Amino acid sequence: MAEAGSFHVPRFGVRERVKAFLNAELVNILAAILFLLLVIFLLYPILAVLIKSIKDPEGLTLSYYVKFFTKGYYFRSLTNTLLLGLINTVVCLITAFCLAYLTTRGPLLLRKPLKLVAMMPLIAPPYLFAISLIILFGHNGIMTKAFGIKWSLYGFTGVVIAQTLAFIPLAYLMIENTLRSLNPNLEESAYDLGASEIRIIRTITIPLLAPGILKAGLLVFVMTIAEFGNAAILGGRTPFLAPDTYTMIIGEADFEMGSVLSVILIIPCIIIFFLHNYMLTGKKFTTIGGKPVASEPRKMTPLVKIPFILISGTVGMAIVVSFGMVLLASFTRILGVNNELVLTHILNFDSNLAIYNSIKVSLIAAFIGAMVGTLLAYVIVRGKFFGRSFIEMISLSGFALPGTVIGIGYLLAFNAPPLKLTGGIMILALNSVFRFLAVGVEAGISKLHQINIEIEEASADLGANFMATFYKIVLPLMFPAFIAGFIYTFMTTLVSLSAVVFLVSPGFELAAVRIFDRAVYGEIGNASATTMKLVVIVIFCMVILNYITKKTGFDVSQKKGSVAV
Amino acid sequence: MKGKFIFTVAAAIFSLVFFVSQSPAQEIRAYMGLSPENNAKVVSFIKEKTGIQILQTFQSFGEIEAKVKSEAPNFNADMITGCGSPLAFMAKKNQWVVPYDSPAWKGVAPEFIDQDKYWFNISNFSFVLVGNKNKLQEKGYAMPKSWKELLDPKWKDQIVMSSPLSSGTANMIRFAFLALYGEEEGWKFLQALDKNIHHYTRSGNAPTDLVGRGEFLLGITSDENVKKRIDEGYPLIWSVPQEGIGYDGTFALIFKTTKKMAECKKVIDVMGTPEFSRMMAEIGYVTPRPAENKLYGKVTPKYIKLDLGYAAEMRPKWNDIWKEKFRTEFK
Repeated sequence: MAEAGSFHVPRFGVRERVKAFLNAELVNILAAILFLLLVIFLLYPILAVLIKSIKDPEGLTLSYYVKFFTKGYYFRSLTNTLLLGLINTVVCLITAFCLAYLTTRGPLLLRKPLKLVAMMPLIAPPYLFAISLIILFGHNGIMTKAFGIKWSLYGFTGVVIAQTLAFIPLAYLMIENTLRSLNPNLEESAYDLGASEIRIIRTITIPLLAPGILKAGLLVFVMTIAEFGNAAILGGRTPFLAPDTYTMIIGEADFEMGSVLSVILIIPCIIIFFLHNYMLTGKKFTTIGGKPVASEPRKMTPLVKIPFILISGTVGMAIVVSFGMVLLASFTRILGVNNELVLTHILNFDSNLAIYNSIKVSLIAAFIGAMVGTLLAYVIVRGKFFGRSFIEMISLSGFALPGTVIGIGYLLAFNAPPLKLTGGIMILALNSVFRFLAVGVEAGISKLHQINIEIEEASADLGANFMATFYKIVLPLMFPAFIAGFIYTFMTTLVSLSAVVFLVSPGFELAAVRIFDRAVYGEIGNASATTMKLVVIVIFCMVILNYITKKTGFDVSQKKGSVAV
Repeated sequence: MKGKFIFTVAAAIFSLVFFVSQSPAQEIRAYMGLSPENNAKVVSFIKEKTGIQILQTFQSFGEIEAKVKSEAPNFNADMITGCGSPLAFMAKKNQWVVPYDSPAWKGVAPEFIDQDKYWFNISNFSFVLVGNKNKLQEKGYAMPKSWKELLDPKWKDQIVMSSPLSSGTANMIRFAFLALYGEEEGWKFLQALDKNIHHYTRSGNAPTDLVGRGEFLLGITSDENVKKRIDEGYPLIWSVPQEGIGYDGTFALIFKTTKKMAECKKVIDVMGTPEFSRMMAEIGYVTPRPAENKLYGKVTPKYIKLDLGYAAEMRPKWNDIWKEKFRTEFK
């Protein structure tokens, strides 16, 4: 430092020193700030939930946990939840694999339409399927009446079906992305050597896919047990942890029991998160020798093709029909009761403000999220301080945390000064920022690994200070990661319900919450129309975003690829 | 080049987000627990009369109670423009709200205004029995004449009502039955009824829509939306069983912490006018200023004798008993 001073006119000594200090330490300062943000907005809320669950007016207690494990009701809600998560994860993974295999290796004719259908649920709130299932299979549903079905939709099976359809695209996105970036050479050589297709899938494709499948499984499991829209609408009297937590906090102000349920909900997620991290270490085989290669359509053996097409076709049909039903419901007076075509639901503009609010919140969340994610990736890869992997783990843990728990945590943590955020718009955006951070961070990290540090060093050697290097070299190179984080956060924030439902305040309604309220309330027409409007707007936003990214010269497929790295 | 572009994109997004964020001056935030569409009606009435925009999100009475309890004393709203009696009494007792001697509420009957002017009851509502006309006909069942008839096993899984934990309507239903049969017998009745209930909904109006769409045969529901749904063409029939029905108020109160006292007072004033009462009676509410009721007409329905104060006091205990009875067994 003293040397730095002596090079310059003494008059500017202090300023120059500050500058030099900043130049040298900015990464660490940045890291400290980001770490602080993670602690405040991710760790502290979770801690607040934990504390709430073991504290009563007299001090520490485990009495709430005792209550949980001694009452059959709560225990059953735990087993139901785990079973739901398990079944859903398995079914989603299998269907997503079939879909992904067909869209990357299957007949060219099927690839585009199947991919489109598989991605469709991403742009709608997950409980769209609850609405369409009621229309079709409710006690007075179209199919129920037409075929005299005796099966009751309300209960465990109904929830499983709705949740599966809702979370297939998540699994698909991850698996398809990994499958696409797998070098097909290995499979092709095995094929040339005479191995059967089933054998190739079993011994080459699936083992190579393991990281993608694991990640997809974790994500689907967490989302399934946390998103409670479908369970709350279709559950009937079958208890599940997430909707029960919601009823306890929102309906009864029973924060203690609600917190206990949250902590219990977190435990399997954390176990799986660590399991997933553990299984991935040592499994990071690189099959990507350069750019992803699109594989030539191979002749699939009927033994594989037929079941794959059957599974994918059924699921695809179910998704299309569900969207169709909701579209129909938004144009009929009371679907199933009075099927007259009307525009009243669509022309009901009460929901417009909520949709507008949702977009506003999602944009803010996406912008901050992508920013924080990119910066975090930078300090994790380029920083040289102790605890980098710890920061990496925390920032990636967000997606293993159920939304309900984060929502309650924010409610508990930020309801009183000095950090009173409830009642404002920022709390709605911030919870999404930190929940969906992982995607931006991961994309950023993998992008940075591709950028040789020599470019930055060269810039520094040429006399550019840290800020200039960062702004002129690093940021532009990381822009695709920024966009990946931005798009993912934007889309998930727009339709996600589980956290924000605890945080909305009067006069600041969000579309996802409003649709859920209306659906629970029984106003299917209104809920459907609002869903349809939201879907149209999401598509519109995606088109604009794609246009912007294209303008910047980045390949969209490349960007999409990084969404799910 | 790219750096500049990022900057442009960022600037564009931020200006887009914050350009339209300015809010008009005359806004207040309120907790409001009527049905969503009736909330909207009150909001537009107030806006028309005073120019004040009430910002609200739909929540049921129980949810508002939970929210206010959890926020106290840092409320995220200026006032309440619709909550049940338990919260109204609780808010007064804990001094979360301020009294206001509104000139517009002079001469209103004592059950509609607090003697110390802390709460204002803008309308009474009740619960009724609703059935799906078509579905009942299909099954050849007649609409029950007495509440006791609901215990018949033929209604198994065919009745819906809301949960008293989250819904003000169900809280009212519960305390009405406890008052009607006495506490011991009342709980027995509720437990027997539970065997036929398909599930408990979150909001008190939900059974109206569920039964109207034919998902279930019968519902015990808030009377708020019944008239409107029938007018809209839902095949609903409603009745007041011979034992009578219960009632609860819809209360308005001003939070101590509000920074918009003048606006809140203006809202309270408007709610005391005969015009407001007429508008509410039009929907089907029983109002502070006498007005012809569109649901019940000129005849006053038979009411079960209730002590709202006692019911409010007992609510936490009754909630515990409820959870104890309906949430413990392995079913």
